[in-house]
Amino acid sequence: MSEPREAVVLHALEEVAARAAAAGRLEPPAGEAVLRSVVEAAVALFDAQAVSIALPDGEADRLVIRVAAGPAGQGAVGLSFNASEGIAGYVYTTGQPLAVADVATDPRFDRRTAETTGYVPRSILAVPLLGEEGTIGVLEVLDRRGDGATGLRDLDVASLFARQAVVALRASHIERDAAELLRLTLARLAADPDADRASIDDAVAAVAAGLDEDDGRLWALADAVARARRAAPDQVALVIEILDALARRGSRPAPRSFRR
Amino acid sequence: MTELPAWGEAFAAGARDSLERHGPWGPVDRAWAFGDGSGRGLRVAIVDSGVEAGHPAVGGHLVESVAVERRGEVWEVVSTSPADVVGHGTACAGIIHALAPEADLVSIRVLGADNRGNGGAFATGLLWAIEASGASVVNLSLSSRSDALFGPLHELADEAYFRNVLLVSAANNVSVASYPSLYAAVVSVAAHDVPSAATWFYNPRPPVEFGAYGLNVDVAWLGGMRMVVTGNSFAAPHIAGYAARIRAAHPDITPFEVKAILAATADNAR
Repeated sequence: MSEPREAVVLHALEEVAARAAAAGRLEPPAGEAVLRSVVEAAVALFDAQAVSIALPDGEADRLVIRVAAGPAGQGAVGLSFNASEGIAGYVYTTGQPLAVADVATDPRFDRRTAETTGYVPRSILAVPLLGEEGTIGVLEVLDRRGDGATGLRDLDVASLFARQAVVALRASHIERDAAELLRLTLARLAADPDADRASIDDAVAAVAAGLDEDDGRLWALADAVARARRAAPDQVALVIEILDALARRGSRPAPRSFRR
Repeated sequence: MTELPAWGEAFAAGARDSLERHGPWGPVDRAWAFGDGSGRGLRVAIVDSGVEAGHPAVGGHLVESVAVERRGEVWEVVSTSPADVVGHGTACAGIIHALAPEADLVSIRVLGADNRGNGGAFATGLLWAIEASGASVVNLSLSSRSDALFGPLHELADEAYFRNVLLVSAANNVSVASYPSLYAAVVSVAAHDVPSAATWFYNPRPPVEFGAYGLNVDVAWLGGMRMVVTGNSFAAPHIAGYAARIRAAHPDITPFEVKAILAATADNAR
């Protein structure tokens, strides 16, 4: 007896998804290219020796430098450090920016940095990457132009770069999660010989909810939008209008007013 | 329902005599506001990364150190060794000690390996600062962006106000909403760009009402060292230090009066 046609199709889709996921890993997603351009632009603006972005390393309580630019930044990619210690750790754990001049006065800092990068900065300006659900990384500017003294605007400007990085990270996150969504959904369907259209919907919604565990309610929203596509045209138009308004609001600086 | 007092009772003819207050202040200047400027007899709590007790900048005035730690599902305040995991809390302690050299300091460490900037740990530490530390000034160079904590922290800010405890809270350096720095019951502080610890400004347009020295400040850091740092985090302890002087010199005044005196003695006061 030949295999049901649907199963064959699903298998083919799975194969495609697997290759798409693999390709995504081989060719760094667009998000990372944007991250690199963020640190490169920050190097140019601050005339800094290095600008880097460190992100949490999965389950371990550590931060890993994902991208870096500048004359002293080249060797820094891949370095990891404790997420609750030091200047970057403080910024990561508290969400508060911090600028330090004369880092070299702390001998412990010197040794640790010198051991890992071979570069000892005099000044550090560290700002948090603020996501919807909290701090998701740290952007550091090492040895910017001048004597290391910090101006009132320096933290603001660095924070603007950090905000760009957050946008890029969200984009790369979505790319990765989309591949995961396809893979997990197909896995569920492959395991369910009686799958019909309704169970496909349920499976996608369930997988999307699982992805939401570390990404706010984004996938629940995406799931709702996808289902809304099947609604009447005027309802779809309304959904688009609402999303458009939300997107415009989201692209503005965070409001300073009280918000619950 | 909890039994509430009759709110007007305190103002009844027979009770008014117990509303003893200091007389009219007269001219308010820094000499009057600060008294001897020592901060003697006062406790200042520092909710931060811990304080290094032996740092010369702390002058041996750290009298108690606690830490907020996770015990199963709850956060608990436990006695701990007087150490700092970052250097930041020691920096704040050093600033306060320099301005109010005889004030006692209490460290409440809310950062550590097991509570990565957790809002629950922060709120637990703040509650302890208000209710159990004996401090009448609390320095909060940390804040929370968590919308879920908006309500609980708001309650704590009111609780402090009603218990006659002054909260001095650094605004976040990034223009995001952070709590409790945006509540009316606290003294909210950001950095100005005048290189002087003795300069502060009052901003009549809240929520951030005070600007203090926070740019390129020479502060104490780990291991007995010093560093030059920038952030609203370092502006707040300057105001906390001056508030400690004021509260020590005028023990019977309340948080809103401290705020009024700080505003009246600010560099932009006319």
